[in-house]
Amino acid sequence: MVKKVNKIFDHKWASTLLWIIAIIIVWEIAACIVAATKRTPENILPHLYQIVAAIFSPKEVSSGMTAIMIVLTSARATILRSLLGFLLGIAAGFLLALIMKMSGLLEKMLFPYLMLIQLIPVLGLAPIVLSITGDINKSRIIIAAILSFYPVATNTLAGFKSVSRDKYDLMYTYAAKKRTIYTKVLIPSAIPYFFTGTKIAAPMAITASILVDTLQGDGGLGCMLSQSLKHAMSIYVFWLIVFFSAFIGILSTHLMSWIEALISPEKRVIRKAKREDRKMKAAKAPEAAKDYVYDRRARMCSKRRS
Amino acid sequence: MAQTTQKIKRPKTLYQRFKENSKAQSAATIVMPVLLGVVIVILWQSQALHHLLRTNTFTLPLLTRIGEIFGENLDKIWDNSVATMTVAFVGLLIGSLLGYGVAIFAALCPRVGKGGLTVIGAFASIPVVALAPVMNNWTKDVSDVASVRSMVAKILVVMLIAAANMCLNAYRGLTELKPYAMDLMDTYAAKKRTVFVKLQLPNSVPYIFTALKVSVPSSIITAIVSEYFAEYIIGVGRQIRENIVLAQYPTAWAYIAAACLLGVAAYVVLMIAQSILLRRYH
Amino acid sequence: MSELKEREVEIQIRDLGVTFKDNAGNDVKALTGVNLDICKGEFISLLGPSGCGKTTLLRTIADLQEPTEGTVRISGMTPKEIRLQQKFGFVFQQPVLFDWRTVKKNVELPLEIMYQSKEDRSKRADEMLEMVGLKGFANHFPNQLSGGMQQRVNIARAFGIRPELLLMDEPFSALDEFTKEKLHEDLLRIWRQTNKTVVFVTHNIQEAVFLSDRICVLSPHPGRLSAVVDVDLPRPRTLEMKESEHFNELVYEVRGKFEGGSV
Repeated sequence: MVKKVNKIFDHKWASTLLWIIAIIIVWEIAACIVAATKRTPENILPHLYQIVAAIFSPKEVSSGMTAIMIVLTSARATILRSLLGFLLGIAAGFLLALIMKMSGLLEKMLFPYLMLIQLIPVLGLAPIVLSITGDINKSRIIIAAILSFYPVATNTLAGFKSVSRDKYDLMYTYAAKKRTIYTKVLIPSAIPYFFTGTKIAAPMAITASILVDTLQGDGGLGCMLSQSLKHAMSIYVFWLIVFFSAFIGILSTHLMSWIEALISPEKRVIRKAKREDRKMKAAKAPEAAKDYVYDRRARMCSKRRS
Repeated sequence: MAQTTQKIKRPKTLYQRFKENSKAQSAATIVMPVLLGVVIVILWQSQALHHLLRTNTFTLPLLTRIGEIFGENLDKIWDNSVATMTVAFVGLLIGSLLGYGVAIFAALCPRVGKGGLTVIGAFASIPVVALAPVMNNWTKDVSDVASVRSMVAKILVVMLIAAANMCLNAYRGLTELKPYAMDLMDTYAAKKRTVFVKLQLPNSVPYIFTALKVSVPSSIITAIVSEYFAEYIIGVGRQIRENIVLAQYPTAWAYIAAACLLGVAAYVVLMIAQSILLRRYH
Repeated sequence: MSELKEREVEIQIRDLGVTFKDNAGNDVKALTGVNLDICKGEFISLLGPSGCGKTTLLRTIADLQEPTEGTVRISGMTPKEIRLQQKFGFVFQQPVLFDWRTVKKNVELPLEIMYQSKEDRSKRADEMLEMVGLKGFANHFPNQLSGGMQQRVNIARAFGIRPELLLMDEPFSALDEFTKEKLHEDLLRIWRQTNKTVVFVTHNIQEAVFLSDRICVLSPHPGRLSAVVDVDLPRPRTLEMKESEHFNELVYEVRGKFEGGSV
């Protein structure tokens, strides 16, 4: 029996599932307590099934729309803008890293400012950007772009710098042109680093877009979130948005991993090899267990001797 | 044969000389950023930046004006900065400890713990805007005083973000050991506790700083954003927003400047701490 | 040296010296007063302990390092001219492979840089991989191969461009003894087939004796050429020769040059 349980835990997802179940249990226990002691439990901690029920509820909560319809329509505005800002930001970040790699002087000029952007609370700038542009859609795009720009630029630059001396020497012996070195060595080397940057940037772009929403009553997830909190509509809209934004935040990071696997064949192959390796190890596990027993006995013997 | 043994001297271009001169290079490291800074200041003060952004000195006040306001409101800015920094620092501290704890758990019992890493790592991807109101709701009963419960709510948000950051990095620090280090410990028949204290813990120290480099700025930003949603009106971030609502743009800009200074100061402190603590590792 | 006069000299090194600056700004003589002629089709080894400047000498021939004094001429031209004509094959100590390219694409890389057509590239890469015995691994990625296999890819890549001159910087030093012996035989076979000049850097006396026509012994502090030993073992060489008395005499002779020559 113990063996069987252990075998289940060989899969990575099993322990993830365990944790998710644990969180659900804690949530539900807390929800029961809240339900018993509070007048409006749904404001603080509704049961999870109540939130799920809200997804499918046909009840109209505001101007002829059900809760889920509100969430999805406002999500469209938010996600499209943050996607546009994200794409602009990562393109700018990549280009800046490339330019900084090409010119040492420009790198020296810009690098301290690149570090500084990280320390400036860009989200704090959101209200100012809104008042400068005067347009919420532009603000969403700009803030999302600034936030995604920084991690991509620094990571890509680190990628360019990770290329070893040997590789430059090899290209030198081939008398390769500068352009060739960039296209065949530097840019491919920086790709994994670039994706590390986008994995950080993607949820930030979404956060930025939702935050900008809250600044103006002009639709979008953040706007609906505030309205629902002020009880302008069912509180379940709030809970749906909380879970939905958490979901797209996590999804965006995974999406970047999938895209990376799609365009870098070596990652796919290596991962597959690792998976097979794990399977092999799992098949060999009983033998390992025998070794362990043997080991224990040996240790006990040595102890007795001493 | 004679001419081949002569020394070859190729004339060097000025650019090449500059590139190969290490003194000139290190001077450029300082001169170039300062140059850019001066250019930006000039563009700003001469209102060229305003033309570029199609805005006016009302929404984007001149630097001298921001400085003036900053000086006039020093007391208030200080109070709000302390409030923001308290939230950011306490949240960062508790969150990092919590994250490290989960990392230790995951490193000691990887079968069960690894899932925890995935789940906590996912918290890093949850938008702060979604977490902040939830925390506000949950902390309603903590205290009767609005300032206290709203601070607890903000700290909880920062804590979650910092924990997520720390736990992934610390786990790598505890498990990505030098090859054969573990085998060496096995040959000494070292106890699990000894291995942990002598090998895994010291190995994770540089990784802690890797995590902090990300989570120090991000905890300040998180503190600022969660102030937007907080019940009690205090903090640098909240003041930016309140002043913009009141159309007091110069004051808002003064708070933005304060926020930047906080970020830079915190980062400098971290760098100093790192250079002292990591001296043995390099 | 009478035999050498009949053969065409390919690399001519005269009074070569290389000086580095260390971190404190002091001059460090990596090489000084090196004079050497290397013949066409010759397999020559640069042998010495670490810090003797053997790699610096190789890098100077490859134009990876500029001499501070003296000259290097290859077929009457400077190393730079030869490099720009893309006639060097350089094998580094580490197999400098590109993780995102398959084995075959790695071999094709220099050919791409030289603007060869796709069919030519593919054909040549297949030939080279067959030559080093990696035909079945063309579509694998470098990370899936063992260290020895990776170094073979490296060699295949170097030979792929039909270099005039093959420069090898301790290519086998990171490999185990069995793989090394196998690759020694492979290298000699390929060298015989192609008949290129090979300059081979190593710190292993047996390896140098087994592979080379001549061994240049270098000594450190400052780096200099202290002796040249002719290896008159018959070709083709076989692993059995390593057991022969003559082989051991040669190893002994080379070792003697070290103790006499070094400080």
